[in-house]
Amino acid sequence: MDKEERKRTLRGEFLKGFITTNPLLVLMVGLCSALAISTRVENCIFMGLAVIFVLTCSNVIISLIRNFIPDQVRIPIYIVVIASFVTIVDLTLKTIPPVYERLGVWIPLIVVNCIILARAEGYASSAKVSHAFMDGLGIGLGYTVVLLIMSVFRELFGTGKIVLFNATIIDLHIKAVPVILIMFPGAFITFAMLSALLQWHQARRKPESKEGSG
Amino acid sequence: MSEAWRYFLLLFGAAVVANILLIRFIALCPFFGVSNSLETSLGMSISVIFVMTMATSVSWIAWNYVLEPLGVGEFLYIPTFILVIASLVQFVEMVIKKTSPPLYKAMGIYLPLITTNCAVLAAATESVKPGFFTKLNIAYHYGFVESIVYTIGVAVGFSLVLILFAAMRERLELAPIPKFFRGVPIAFITAAIFSLAFMGFAGMFGL
Repeated sequence: MDKEERKRTLRGEFLKGFITTNPLLVLMVGLCSALAISTRVENCIFMGLAVIFVLTCSNVIISLIRNFIPDQVRIPIYIVVIASFVTIVDLTLKTIPPVYERLGVWIPLIVVNCIILARAEGYASSAKVSHAFMDGLGIGLGYTVVLLIMSVFRELFGTGKIVLFNATIIDLHIKAVPVILIMFPGAFITFAMLSALLQWHQARRKPESKEGSG
Repeated sequence: MSEAWRYFLLLFGAAVVANILLIRFIALCPFFGVSNSLETSLGMSISVIFVMTMATSVSWIAWNYVLEPLGVGEFLYIPTFILVIASLVQFVEMVIKKTSPPLYKAMGIYLPLITTNCAVLAAATESVKPGFFTKLNIAYHYGFVESIVYTIGVAVGFSLVLILFAAMRERLELAPIPKFFRGVPIAFITAAIFSLAFMGFAGMFGL
């Protein structure tokens, strides 16, 4: 493999997490945390960082030890690797009490966040370290981007303003806001809209790509 | 407040008022994954009730008799619980395979899926680790029986919604739906309406 081709693949591994294999919209994994915490932009920033960190680190470690893991016990080993990184995040976030309180049970639940185990089993266990690193970064960022889109929409229209680190960033100055957006059904509705949008986007693109690839 | 009434409140609160799927968004992946047909959701529900109750009992014992006395709970609870759950699932799978083939046939394929069912880890964490259980405003001491009752409540709530939703989705297959909303989006819209309905339980019995 020459240098240019490898570079392109690395870039491809990184970029595929945004649209083609977006964990939330396409793979439909990791939904639970995304729906629950997207009520505030601030939560999503911390959650996104936590997931990027755990995903990248566990991908790299699993890719490094992939040739030494016996096949029968691979899942427990993946889980232990992931759980160690989640513990690091858990203890780190504990130093920021208000954030830790709001994210609550979602931090330990990163262990069973399907995104991370799915990438470990489906990708990192058979990929080069550099590719696994890029994949972790890309998928993590793809998750964070969808999270941010959802939370900006929900916080902006659900409460009328966006508050980030105790400072009001945007204020719409409207009194009657659709509060349902920051309540439980709002999460489902927002996600349904995003998903429909993606289906519309794919349907629009399909005729062109079908002619090319067959 | 009598003991029995308190247990009932705990069960009811965990199952309906703070429903794990619709109000708390835990375990949505298996929810949308297996709710395609009524039959698979029934199998999944039975397996979840069974595994969850066992997982919480073992985690509770591990926390109270091993982790907490040794003072390592804060650092080791995540790996411990997830390993407890993973090995328990494997163990249950083996036992059922040996003892009851028909039950294995019904539950077999769902058991491995349960390892990554967030609800199991969530229930185990919440029922042993003080501080997480904040959704229900009733006195809660994290005793063994209370943990079990709470977990059964969570599992029953999961099953209830899963089965209701599967029945609904079978009907949705036949409904005329706008083109781009077919499949995933309409499932989420349905879930939103379900969630809205379940919000009506908030405040019942002062929960």
